[in-house]
Amino acid sequence: MRMNIHFKNRVACIGAGLTLFRRRLFETPRELAWEAAKQALENAGMELKDIDCVVFGSAPDAFDGIHMQGEYMVDGAGGYKKPFTRVYVGGGTGVFSVIAGWWHVASGLCDKVLVVAEEKMSPALPHPQYVFHHIFDPITDKPLGVNLIWIFALEMHRYMYKYNIKKEDIALVSVKNKRNALDHPAAQLGAKITVEDVLNSEVLVWPVQRLDISPVSDGAGALILTSEEYAKQYTDTPVWIDGVGWNLDTTYWTNRDLAFPKYLYYAGKMAYKMAGIHNPRKEIDVAEVYDPFDYKELHHMEGLQLARKGEAPILTREGVTERDGDLPINPSGGLLGVGNPIAAAGIMKVAEIFWQLRKEAGKRQVAKDPTTGLAQAWGDLMQIGTVVVMRV
Amino acid sequence: MSIDKIRDLKSAKVIPGDMEVGKYVYTLGLAGEKFFNGLKNGKILASTCKKCGITYLPPKAYCEECHGAIDEYSEVGKIGMVYSYTIQYVDGSGKKLDEGVIWALIKYEGVRGGIVHKLGEVDYDQLYIGMLVEPVFKKKAEREGKITDILYFRPIKP
Repeated sequence: MRMNIHFKNRVACIGAGLTLFRRRLFETPRELAWEAAKQALENAGMELKDIDCVVFGSAPDAFDGIHMQGEYMVDGAGGYKKPFTRVYVGGGTGVFSVIAGWWHVASGLCDKVLVVAEEKMSPALPHPQYVFHHIFDPITDKPLGVNLIWIFALEMHRYMYKYNIKKEDIALVSVKNKRNALDHPAAQLGAKITVEDVLNSEVLVWPVQRLDISPVSDGAGALILTSEEYAKQYTDTPVWIDGVGWNLDTTYWTNRDLAFPKYLYYAGKMAYKMAGIHNPRKEIDVAEVYDPFDYKELHHMEGLQLARKGEAPILTREGVTERDGDLPINPSGGLLGVGNPIAAAGIMKVAEIFWQLRKEAGKRQVAKDPTTGLAQAWGDLMQIGTVVVMRV
Repeated sequence: MSIDKIRDLKSAKVIPGDMEVGKYVYTLGLAGEKFFNGLKNGKILASTCKKCGITYLPPKAYCEECHGAIDEYSEVGKIGMVYSYTIQYVDGSGKKLDEGVIWALIKYEGVRGGIVHKLGEVDYDQLYIGMLVEPVFKKKAEREGKITDILYFRPIKP
Protein backbone atom coordinates (compact mmCIF):
# COMPACT_ATOMS: atom_id res chain seq x y z
CA MET A 1 0.00 0.00 0.00
CA ARG A 2 1.28 3.43 -0.91
CA MET A 3 0.67 6.18 1.56
CA ASN A 4 1.45 9.81 1.28
CA ILE A 5 0.65 11.22 4.68
CA HIS A 6 2.21 14.46 5.78
CA PHE A 7 0.99 15.90 9.00
CA LYS A 8 1.74 19.04 10.85
CA ASN A 9 1.29 18.04 14.48
CA ARG A 10 2.05 14.95 16.49
CA VAL A 11 -1.18 14.14 18.34
CA ALA A 12 -1.45 13.40 22.06
CA CYS A 13 -4.25 11.99 24.16
CA ILE A 14 -4.29 13.78 27.53
CA GLY A 15 -7.62 12.88 29.13
CA ALA A 16 -10.35 10.25 29.16
CA GLY A 17 -13.83 9.84 30.63
CA LEU A 18 -16.38 7.06 30.70
CA THR A 19 -19.92 6.64 32.08
CA LEU A 20 -21.20 3.40 33.51
CA PHE A 21 -22.18 0.82 30.87
CA ARG A 22 -25.61 -0.62 31.67
CA ARG A 23 -28.52 -2.36 29.93
CA ARG A 24 -30.71 0.72 30.46
CA LEU A 25 -29.48 4.00 31.91
CA PHE A 26 -31.71 6.71 33.29
CA GLU A 27 -29.97 9.63 31.55
CA THR A 28 -30.86 10.87 28.07
CA PRO A 29 -28.27 10.37 25.29
CA ARG A 30 -27.27 14.04 25.62
CA GLU A 31 -26.83 13.73 29.37
CA LEU A 32 -24.66 10.63 28.93
CA ALA A 33 -22.44 12.46 26.42
CA TRP A 34 -22.18 15.38 28.83
CA GLU A 35 -21.12 13.15 31.74
CA ALA A 36 -18.36 11.51 29.69
CA ALA A 37 -17.17 14.82 28.21
CA LYS A 38 -17.10 16.49 31.63
CA GLN A 39 -14.99 13.66 33.07
CA ALA A 40 -12.53 13.81 30.17
CA LEU A 41 -12.16 17.59 30.49
CA GLU A 42 -11.59 17.35 34.24
CA ASN A 43 -9.12 14.51 33.72
CA ALA A 44 -7.14 16.70 31.29
CA GLY A 45 -7.37 19.76 33.56
CA MET A 46 -9.39 21.67 30.97
CA GLU A 47 -12.64 23.56 30.67
CA LEU A 48 -14.99 23.51 27.73
CA LYS A 49 -13.87 26.98 26.67
CA ASP A 50 -10.35 25.58 26.07
CA ILE A 51 -11.65 23.21 23.37
CA ASP A 52 -11.31 24.25 19.70
CA CYS A 53 -13.63 21.69 18.11
CA VAL A 54 -15.69 18.62 18.89
CA VAL A 55 -15.95 15.28 17.11
CA PHE A 56 -18.92 13.11 17.98
CA GLY A 57 -19.55 9.47 17.10
CA SER A 58 -22.57 7.20 17.37
CA ALA A 59 -23.73 4.14 15.44
CA PRO A 60 -27.15 3.72 13.73
CA ASP A 61 -29.63 6.45 14.73
CA ALA A 62 -32.20 3.71 15.06
CA PHE A 63 -30.77 2.62 18.43
CA ASP A 64 -31.20 5.91 20.29
CA GLY A 65 -34.35 6.33 18.21
CA ILE A 66 -33.52 9.88 17.10
CA HIS A 67 -32.81 10.57 13.44
CA MET A 68 -29.91 12.92 12.64
CA GLN A 69 -28.49 12.24 16.05
CA GLY A 70 -25.44 14.43 15.45
CA GLU A 71 -27.37 17.67 15.73
CA TYR A 72 -29.44 16.35 18.65
CA MET A 73 -26.24 15.72 20.64
CA VAL A 74 -24.48 19.04 20.08
CA ASP A 75 -24.86 20.71 23.48
CA GLY A 76 -24.40 17.53 25.52
CA ALA A 77 -21.23 16.67 23.64
CA GLY A 78 -19.89 20.19 24.20
CA GLY A 79 -20.18 21.26 20.58
CA TYR A 80 -22.44 24.32 20.98
CA LYS A 81 -20.92 27.29 19.07
CA LYS A 82 -17.89 25.22 18.00
CA PRO A 83 -16.94 23.41 14.79
CA PHE A 84 -18.77 20.13 15.37
CA THR A 85 -18.54 16.96 13.28
CA ARG A 86 -20.39 13.70 13.59
CA VAL A 87 -18.71 10.63 12.16
CA TYR A 88 -20.30 7.27 11.61
CA VAL A 89 -19.01 3.88 10.45
CA GLY A 90 -21.33 1.54 12.37
CA GLY A 91 -19.55 -0.52 15.03
CA GLY A 92 -16.20 0.94 13.98
CA THR A 93 -17.37 4.43 14.96
CA GLY A 94 -15.80 4.66 18.42
CA VAL A 95 -12.24 4.23 17.19
CA PHE A 96 -13.05 6.11 13.98
CA SER A 97 -14.16 9.15 16.01
CA VAL A 98 -10.68 9.14 17.57
CA ILE A 99 -9.16 8.90 14.07
CA ALA A 100 -11.28 11.89 13.01
CA GLY A 101 -10.16 13.77 16.13
CA TRP A 102 -6.58 12.85 15.21
CA TRP A 103 -6.83 14.38 11.73
CA HIS A 104 -8.29 17.61 13.11
CA VAL A 105 -5.12 18.01 15.19
CA ALA A 106 -2.58 16.36 12.87
CA SER A 107 -3.61 18.66 10.02
CA GLY A 108 -3.03 21.75 12.12
CA LEU A 109 -6.70 22.75 11.83
CA CYS A 110 -7.29 22.54 15.61
CA ASP A 111 -5.03 22.24 18.63
CA LYS A 112 -7.45 20.92 21.26
CA VAL A 113 -10.21 18.48 20.32
CA LEU A 114 -12.89 16.86 22.42
CA VAL A 115 -13.92 13.45 21.05
CA VAL A 116 -17.21 12.04 22.38
CA ALA A 117 -19.02 8.80 21.53
CA GLU A 118 -22.41 7.77 22.86
CA GLU A 119 -24.87 4.98 22.34
CA LYS A 120 -28.18 4.34 23.96
CA MET A 121 -29.40 1.00 22.63
CA SER A 122 -32.15 0.47 25.18
CA PRO A 123 -34.94 2.61 23.60
CA ALA A 124 -35.53 0.20 20.69
CA LEU A 125 -38.24 -2.40 21.27
CA PRO A 126 -38.93 -5.29 21.20
CA HIS A 127 -35.13 -5.74 21.13
CA PRO A 128 -32.28 -3.59 19.76
CA GLN A 129 -31.11 -6.53 17.64
CA TYR A 130 -34.17 -5.82 15.51
CA VAL A 131 -32.54 -2.60 14.29
CA PHE A 132 -29.94 -4.63 12.44
CA HIS A 133 -32.66 -6.07 10.21
CA HIS A 134 -32.56 -2.82 8.27
CA ILE A 135 -28.85 -2.65 7.44
CA PHE A 136 -28.96 -5.40 4.82
CA ASP A 137 -29.68 -5.30 1.10
CA PRO A 138 -33.45 -4.73 0.88
CA ILE A 139 -33.84 -6.92 -2.21
CA THR A 140 -31.57 -9.94 -1.77
CA ASP A 141 -31.10 -10.25 2.00
CA LYS A 142 -33.91 -8.56 3.91
CA PRO A 143 -36.82 -10.67 2.57
CA LEU A 144 -35.11 -13.69 4.23
CA GLY A 145 -35.54 -12.04 7.62
CA VAL A 146 -31.76 -11.91 7.96
CA ASN A 147 -30.33 -11.19 11.39
CA LEU A 148 -26.84 -10.02 12.30
CA ILE A 149 -26.17 -13.03 14.51
CA TRP A 150 -26.77 -15.39 11.56
CA ILE A 151 -24.06 -13.73 9.55
CA PHE A 152 -21.61 -13.92 12.42
CA ALA A 153 -22.53 -17.56 12.96
CA LEU A 154 -21.65 -18.26 9.31
CA GLU A 155 -18.35 -16.42 9.76
CA MET A 156 -17.55 -18.15 13.06
CA HIS A 157 -18.30 -21.56 11.58
CA ARG A 158 -16.08 -20.90 8.55
CA TYR A 159 -13.25 -19.73 10.81
CA MET A 160 -13.59 -22.85 13.00
CA TYR A 161 -13.67 -25.10 9.93
CA LYS A 162 -10.68 -23.52 8.18
CA TYR A 163 -8.31 -23.73 11.15
CA ASN A 164 -9.87 -26.67 12.97
CA ILE A 165 -10.75 -24.59 16.03
CA LYS A 166 -12.84 -26.03 18.84
CA LYS A 167 -15.61 -24.12 20.60
CA GLU A 168 -13.85 -24.86 23.92
CA ASP A 169 -10.92 -22.72 22.81
CA ILE A 170 -13.14 -19.89 21.62
CA ALA A 171 -15.06 -19.96 24.92
CA LEU A 172 -11.80 -19.20 26.77
CA VAL A 173 -12.00 -15.66 25.38
CA SER A 174 -15.40 -15.08 27.01
CA VAL A 175 -14.14 -16.53 30.30
CA LYS A 176 -11.05 -14.27 30.26
CA ASN A 177 -12.84 -11.06 29.27
CA LYS A 178 -15.73 -11.38 31.71
CA ARG A 179 -13.20 -12.07 34.47
CA ASN A 180 -11.10 -9.06 33.48
CA ALA A 181 -14.21 -6.89 33.58
CA LEU A 182 -14.68 -7.64 37.29
CA ASP A 183 -11.95 -5.02 37.83
CA HIS A 184 -13.51 -2.36 35.59
CA PRO A 185 -15.60 0.23 37.47
CA ALA A 186 -17.89 0.87 34.46
CA ALA A 187 -18.48 -2.81 33.64
CA GLN A 188 -21.91 -4.27 33.03
CA LEU A 189 -21.13 -7.99 32.81
CA GLY A 190 -18.03 -8.81 34.83
CA ALA A 191 -18.34 -12.42 35.99
CA LYS A 192 -16.48 -15.53 36.98
CA ILE A 193 -17.62 -18.13 34.48
CA THR A 194 -16.17 -21.37 33.12
CA VAL A 195 -15.81 -22.83 29.64
CA GLU A 196 -18.63 -25.23 30.55
CA ASP A 197 -20.91 -22.28 31.36
CA VAL A 198 -20.32 -20.93 27.86
CA LEU A 199 -20.86 -24.31 26.19
CA ASN A 200 -24.03 -24.93 28.20
CA SER A 201 -25.53 -21.48 27.58
CA GLU A 202 -28.54 -21.07 25.32
CA VAL A 203 -27.83 -21.67 21.62
CA LEU A 204 -28.91 -18.56 19.74
CA VAL A 205 -27.77 -19.27 16.19
CA TRP A 206 -25.35 -22.20 16.20
CA PRO A 207 -22.41 -22.00 16.86
CA VAL A 208 -23.19 -18.69 18.60
CA GLN A 209 -24.43 -19.18 22.17
CA ARG A 210 -25.61 -16.69 24.77
CA LEU A 211 -22.22 -16.37 26.50
CA ASP A 212 -20.33 -16.01 23.20
CA ILE A 213 -21.92 -12.62 22.64
CA SER A 214 -21.70 -9.11 24.12
CA PRO A 215 -24.75 -7.49 25.73
CA VAL A 216 -27.01 -4.59 24.78
CA SER A 217 -25.74 -1.49 26.55
CA ASP A 218 -26.15 2.24 27.14
CA GLY A 219 -23.10 4.40 27.76
CA ALA A 220 -20.74 7.14 26.63
CA GLY A 221 -17.02 7.85 26.51
CA ALA A 222 -14.82 10.85 25.75
CA LEU A 223 -11.18 11.70 25.08
CA ILE A 224 -9.15 14.90 24.81
CA LEU A 225 -6.67 15.10 21.92
CA THR A 226 -4.17 17.92 21.53
CA SER A 227 -1.14 18.97 19.53
CA GLU A 228 2.30 18.40 21.07
CA GLU A 229 2.62 22.07 22.02
CA TYR A 230 -0.54 22.06 24.13
CA ALA A 231 -0.07 18.52 25.48
CA LYS A 232 3.06 19.69 27.27
CA GLN A 233 1.18 22.60 28.84
CA TYR A 234 -1.42 20.32 30.39
CA THR A 235 0.42 17.13 31.33
CA ASP A 236 3.78 15.47 31.88
CA THR A 237 2.41 12.14 30.72
CA PRO A 238 0.80 12.47 27.28
CA VAL A 239 0.02 9.32 25.32
CA TRP A 240 0.83 9.76 21.64
CA ILE A 241 -1.35 8.54 18.82
CA ASP A 242 1.41 7.52 16.44
CA GLY A 243 -0.56 5.54 13.88
CA VAL A 244 -4.12 5.48 12.56
CA GLY A 245 -5.63 3.17 9.96
CA TRP A 246 -9.00 2.28 8.52
CA ASN A 247 -10.12 0.20 5.60
CA LEU A 248 -13.31 -1.19 4.08
CA ASP A 249 -13.81 -4.62 2.56
CA THR A 250 -16.62 -5.25 0.06
CA THR A 251 -20.23 -4.66 1.13
CA TYR A 252 -21.08 -8.05 -0.39
CA TRP A 253 -20.23 -10.16 2.62
CA THR A 254 -20.78 -13.15 0.35
CA ASN A 255 -17.59 -12.13 -1.48
CA ARG A 256 -15.34 -11.96 1.58
CA ASP A 257 -12.88 -14.41 3.04
CA LEU A 258 -14.91 -15.18 6.16
CA ALA A 259 -11.97 -16.93 7.86
CA PHE A 260 -9.66 -13.91 7.72
CA PRO A 261 -10.60 -10.24 8.25
CA LYS A 262 -8.87 -8.49 5.36
CA TYR A 263 -10.48 -5.16 6.28
CA LEU A 264 -8.43 -5.28 9.43
CA TYR A 265 -5.25 -6.57 7.85
CA TYR A 266 -5.17 -3.48 5.61
CA ALA A 267 -6.25 -1.07 8.36
CA GLY A 268 -3.55 -2.48 10.64
CA LYS A 269 -0.91 -2.21 7.92
CA MET A 270 -1.78 1.46 7.43
CA ALA A 271 -1.48 2.22 11.16
CA TYR A 272 1.70 0.17 11.56
CA LYS A 273 3.37 1.89 8.65
CA MET A 274 2.56 5.32 10.07
CA ALA A 275 3.82 4.28 13.52
CA GLY A 276 6.95 2.62 12.11
CA ILE A 277 5.99 -0.82 13.39
CA HIS A 278 7.54 -3.72 11.48
CA ASN A 279 6.75 -6.69 13.69
CA PRO A 280 3.39 -6.13 15.45
CA ARG A 281 3.58 -9.35 17.46
CA LYS A 282 6.83 -8.17 19.07
CA GLU A 283 6.27 -4.40 19.16
CA ILE A 284 2.68 -4.16 20.44
CA ASP A 285 2.71 -4.61 24.22
CA VAL A 286 -1.01 -4.55 24.90
CA ALA A 287 -4.07 -4.49 22.64
CA GLU A 288 -7.79 -3.84 22.89
CA VAL A 289 -9.24 -5.68 19.91
CA TYR A 290 -12.93 -5.62 19.05
CA ASP A 291 -14.74 -8.50 20.73
CA PRO A 292 -18.53 -8.27 20.33
CA PHE A 293 -18.28 -12.07 20.01
CA ASP A 294 -15.57 -14.23 21.57
CA TYR A 295 -14.37 -15.62 18.21
CA LYS A 296 -13.96 -12.04 16.91
CA GLU A 297 -11.15 -11.37 19.40
CA LEU A 298 -9.24 -14.29 17.85
CA HIS A 299 -10.21 -13.34 14.30
CA HIS A 300 -9.10 -9.76 14.89
CA MET A 301 -5.78 -10.72 16.54
CA GLU A 302 -4.97 -12.58 13.35
CA GLY A 303 -6.11 -9.73 11.11
CA LEU A 304 -3.85 -7.39 13.09
CA GLN A 305 -0.89 -9.79 12.69
CA LEU A 306 -0.74 -10.22 16.47
CA ALA A 307 -1.04 -13.94 15.76
CA ARG A 308 -0.53 -16.06 12.66
CA LYS A 309 -3.63 -17.39 10.91
CA GLY A 310 -5.27 -19.97 13.15
CA GLU A 311 -2.80 -19.27 15.96
CA ALA A 312 -4.85 -16.92 18.17
CA PRO A 313 -6.76 -19.74 19.92
CA ILE A 314 -3.46 -21.42 20.77
CA LEU A 315 -2.03 -18.22 22.28
CA THR A 316 -5.24 -17.83 24.27
CA ARG A 317 -5.07 -21.40 25.56
CA GLU A 318 -1.45 -20.88 26.59
CA GLY A 319 -2.35 -17.76 28.61
CA VAL A 320 -0.37 -15.36 26.40
CA THR A 321 -3.37 -13.02 26.17
CA GLU A 322 -4.02 -12.83 29.93
CA ARG A 323 -3.12 -9.63 31.82
CA ASP A 324 0.09 -11.25 33.05
CA GLY A 325 0.86 -12.81 29.66
CA ASP A 326 3.31 -11.70 27.00
CA LEU A 327 0.57 -10.12 24.84
CA PRO A 328 -2.36 -9.03 27.01
CA ILE A 329 -5.54 -8.72 24.93
CA ASN A 330 -8.57 -6.82 26.24
CA PRO A 331 -7.35 -6.24 29.79
CA SER A 332 -10.40 -3.97 30.24
CA GLY A 333 -12.75 -6.90 29.91
CA GLY A 334 -13.70 -5.90 26.39
CA LEU A 335 -17.19 -5.69 24.97
CA LEU A 336 -17.96 -9.15 26.35
CA GLY A 337 -17.32 -7.97 29.91
CA VAL A 338 -17.52 -4.18 30.12
CA GLY A 339 -20.42 -3.96 27.68
CA ASN A 340 -21.17 -2.86 24.16
CA PRO A 341 -22.77 0.58 23.78
CA ILE A 342 -21.51 0.49 20.23
CA ALA A 343 -19.59 3.72 19.54
CA ALA A 344 -18.87 4.27 23.24
CA ALA A 345 -17.34 0.78 23.42
CA GLY A 346 -14.72 1.83 20.86
CA ILE A 347 -13.80 4.86 22.99
CA MET A 348 -13.68 2.60 26.03
CA LYS A 349 -10.99 0.56 24.23
CA VAL A 350 -8.88 3.60 23.35
CA ALA A 351 -9.31 4.89 26.93
CA GLU A 352 -8.08 1.54 28.28
CA ILE A 353 -4.88 1.76 26.22
CA PHE A 354 -4.49 5.37 27.42
CA TRP A 355 -4.76 4.21 31.06
CA GLN A 356 -2.56 1.14 30.51
CA LEU A 357 0.24 3.18 28.93
CA ARG A 358 0.00 5.78 31.73
CA LYS A 359 0.02 2.93 34.29
CA GLU A 360 -3.28 4.22 35.61
CA ALA A 361 -5.33 1.08 35.02
CA GLY A 362 -5.32 0.08 38.69
CA LYS A 363 -6.25 -3.55 39.22
CA ARG A 364 -6.46 -3.98 35.46
CA GLN A 365 -2.83 -2.91 34.91
CA VAL A 366 -0.98 -5.48 32.79
CA ALA A 367 2.05 -7.16 34.34
CA LYS A 368 4.54 -6.13 31.68
CA ASP A 369 5.74 -2.55 31.29
CA PRO A 370 3.81 -1.44 28.19
CA THR A 371 5.07 1.38 25.98
CA THR A 372 3.11 0.64 22.78
CA GLY A 373 -0.56 -0.25 22.61
CA LEU A 374 -3.29 -0.69 20.04
CA ALA A 375 -7.07 -0.24 20.04
CA GLN A 376 -9.35 -1.46 17.30
CA ALA A 377 -13.01 -1.57 16.33
CA TRP A 378 -15.03 -3.17 13.55
CA GLY A 379 -18.20 -2.08 11.83
CA ASP A 380 -20.29 -0.89 8.90
CA LEU A 381 -21.73 -4.01 7.25
CA MET A 382 -19.09 -6.05 9.16
CA GLN A 383 -16.54 -4.67 6.73
CA ILE A 384 -14.54 -1.82 8.26
CA GLY A 385 -11.48 -2.04 10.48
CA THR A 386 -10.49 1.05 12.51
CA VAL A 387 -7.14 1.09 14.33
CA VAL A 388 -5.07 3.44 16.47
CA VAL A 389 -1.54 2.77 17.70
CA MET A 390 -0.53 4.64 20.87
CA ARG A 391 2.82 5.15 22.59
CA VAL A 392 4.35 6.76 25.64
CA MET B 1 -37.72 3.79 -19.90
CA SER B 2 -36.52 6.20 -17.33
CA ILE B 3 -37.16 5.20 -13.74
CA ASP B 4 -38.47 8.61 -12.71
CA LYS B 5 -41.41 8.08 -15.08
CA ILE B 6 -42.63 5.00 -13.21
CA ARG B 7 -45.75 6.21 -11.49
CA ASP B 8 -47.55 2.88 -11.63
CA LEU B 9 -45.65 0.45 -9.40
CA LYS B 10 -47.02 -2.46 -11.43
CA SER B 11 -44.87 -1.45 -14.38
CA ALA B 12 -41.59 -2.25 -12.49
CA LYS B 13 -40.97 -5.16 -10.20
CA VAL B 14 -40.61 -3.91 -6.62
CA ILE B 15 -39.95 -5.52 -3.26
CA PRO B 16 -41.97 -4.08 -0.40
CA GLY B 17 -40.00 -3.15 2.72
CA ASP B 18 -40.02 -1.17 5.91
CA MET B 19 -37.56 0.58 8.19
CA GLU B 20 -39.61 0.24 11.32
CA VAL B 21 -38.39 -0.92 14.67
CA GLY B 22 -41.32 -2.13 16.77
CA LYS B 23 -41.39 0.70 19.28
CA TYR B 24 -39.20 2.97 21.34
CA VAL B 25 -39.14 3.96 24.99
CA TYR B 26 -37.28 7.15 25.88
CA THR B 27 -36.13 7.82 29.42
CA LEU B 28 -36.77 11.43 30.43
CA GLY B 29 -33.34 11.80 32.02
CA LEU B 30 -32.06 14.02 34.81
CA ALA B 31 -33.65 17.31 33.76
CA GLY B 32 -36.61 15.70 31.99
CA GLU B 33 -37.87 13.95 35.13
CA LYS B 34 -37.98 17.30 36.93
CA PHE B 35 -39.65 19.12 34.03
CA PHE B 36 -42.38 16.57 33.43
CA ASN B 37 -43.08 16.06 37.12
CA GLY B 38 -43.46 19.83 37.21
CA LEU B 39 -46.08 19.73 34.45
CA LYS B 40 -47.97 17.09 36.40
CA ASN B 41 -48.15 19.62 39.25
CA GLY B 42 -49.19 22.42 36.93
CA LYS B 43 -45.77 24.11 36.91
CA ILE B 44 -43.38 24.99 34.10
CA LEU B 45 -39.86 24.50 35.46
CA ALA B 46 -36.64 25.94 34.08
CA SER B 47 -33.08 25.31 35.28
CA THR B 48 -30.41 27.93 35.98
CA CYS B 49 -26.63 27.78 35.68
CA LYS B 50 -25.44 29.93 38.58
CA LYS B 51 -22.00 30.39 37.10
CA CYS B 52 -23.18 31.73 33.73
CA GLY B 53 -26.49 33.18 34.94
CA ILE B 54 -28.42 31.44 32.18
CA THR B 55 -31.88 29.94 32.70
CA TYR B 56 -32.88 27.12 30.34
CA LEU B 57 -36.38 26.10 29.20
CA PRO B 58 -36.91 23.21 28.83
CA PRO B 59 -34.44 22.73 31.65
CA LYS B 60 -31.01 21.18 31.06
CA ALA B 61 -28.97 19.17 33.55
CA TYR B 62 -25.82 20.91 32.31
CA CYS B 63 -24.93 24.35 30.97
CA GLU B 64 -24.32 24.44 27.23
CA GLU B 65 -21.90 27.34 27.71
CA CYS B 66 -19.60 26.12 30.52
CA HIS B 67 -20.61 22.42 30.66
CA GLY B 68 -21.04 22.66 34.43
CA ALA B 69 -23.72 20.65 36.22
CA ILE B 70 -27.03 22.40 36.95
CA ASP B 71 -29.14 21.49 39.94
CA GLU B 72 -31.19 24.64 40.44
CA TYR B 73 -34.77 24.43 39.17
CA SER B 74 -37.47 27.06 39.49
CA GLU B 75 -40.84 27.93 38.04
CA VAL B 76 -40.94 30.37 35.13
CA GLY B 77 -43.20 33.42 35.52
CA LYS B 78 -46.93 33.19 34.89
CA ILE B 79 -46.79 35.35 31.79
CA GLY B 80 -45.48 33.97 28.51
CA MET B 81 -45.16 35.88 25.26
CA VAL B 82 -45.87 34.70 21.72
CA TYR B 83 -42.57 34.99 19.88
CA SER B 84 -43.97 33.70 16.60
CA TYR B 85 -47.03 31.75 15.47
CA THR B 86 -48.41 29.87 12.50
CA ILE B 87 -51.69 28.25 11.48
CA GLN B 88 -51.67 24.69 10.18
CA TYR B 89 -54.33 23.91 7.55
CA VAL B 90 -52.98 20.62 6.10
CA ASP B 91 -51.64 17.58 7.95
CA GLY B 92 -48.35 15.76 7.28
CA SER B 93 -49.86 13.53 4.60
CA GLY B 94 -51.42 16.45 2.74
CA LYS B 95 -54.97 16.04 4.07
CA LYS B 96 -56.95 19.20 4.72
CA LEU B 97 -57.76 19.65 8.40
CA ASP B 98 -61.37 20.33 9.42
CA GLU B 99 -60.15 23.15 11.61
CA GLY B 100 -56.83 25.02 11.55
CA VAL B 101 -54.38 24.56 14.43
CA ILE B 102 -52.50 27.56 15.80
CA TRP B 103 -48.91 26.71 16.79
CA ALA B 104 -46.77 29.19 18.69
CA LEU B 105 -43.30 29.52 20.15
CA ILE B 106 -43.80 30.93 23.63
CA LYS B 107 -40.97 32.66 25.48
CA TYR B 108 -40.46 33.90 29.02
CA GLU B 109 -38.51 36.91 30.12
CA GLY B 110 -34.90 36.18 31.07
CA VAL B 111 -35.14 32.57 29.89
CA ARG B 112 -33.14 30.91 27.09
CA GLY B 113 -35.40 28.64 25.04
CA GLY B 114 -39.17 28.38 25.21
CA ILE B 115 -42.09 26.08 24.61
CA VAL B 116 -43.76 25.20 21.33
CA HIS B 117 -47.44 24.55 21.86
CA LYS B 118 -50.96 25.20 20.59
CA LEU B 119 -52.87 28.42 21.15
CA GLY B 120 -56.54 28.23 22.06
CA GLU B 121 -59.50 30.44 23.09
CA VAL B 122 -58.42 32.98 20.46
CA ASP B 123 -59.67 33.90 16.96
CA TYR B 124 -57.30 34.15 14.03
CA ASP B 125 -57.85 37.87 13.67
CA GLN B 126 -56.89 38.46 17.29
CA LEU B 127 -53.46 36.83 16.93
CA TYR B 128 -50.33 38.92 17.10
CA ILE B 129 -46.66 38.48 17.88
CA GLY B 130 -46.02 39.74 21.38
CA MET B 131 -49.38 38.50 22.70
CA LEU B 132 -49.21 37.59 26.40
CA VAL B 133 -50.37 34.05 27.14
CA GLU B 134 -50.81 31.53 29.96
CA PRO B 135 -50.96 27.72 29.94
CA VAL B 136 -54.20 25.77 30.28
CA PHE B 137 -53.49 22.45 31.97
CA LYS B 138 -55.53 19.25 31.93
CA LYS B 139 -57.40 18.47 35.11
CA LYS B 140 -54.93 17.28 37.73
CA ALA B 141 -56.20 13.69 37.77
CA GLU B 142 -55.74 13.41 34.00
CA ARG B 143 -52.13 14.61 33.87
CA GLU B 144 -49.51 12.01 32.94
CA GLY B 145 -46.23 13.92 33.08
CA LYS B 146 -46.21 14.61 29.32
CA ILE B 147 -45.99 17.77 27.21
CA THR B 148 -49.67 17.20 26.42
CA ASP B 149 -50.53 17.85 30.10
CA ILE B 150 -50.69 21.42 28.80
CA LEU B 151 -53.79 21.53 26.57
CA TYR B 152 -52.87 24.87 24.98
CA PHE B 153 -51.91 28.46 25.84
CA ARG B 154 -54.54 31.20 25.85
CA PRO B 155 -54.39 34.97 25.85
CA ILE B 156 -54.25 36.59 29.27
CA LYS B 157 -57.38 38.63 29.71
CA PRO B 158 -56.56 42.17 30.78
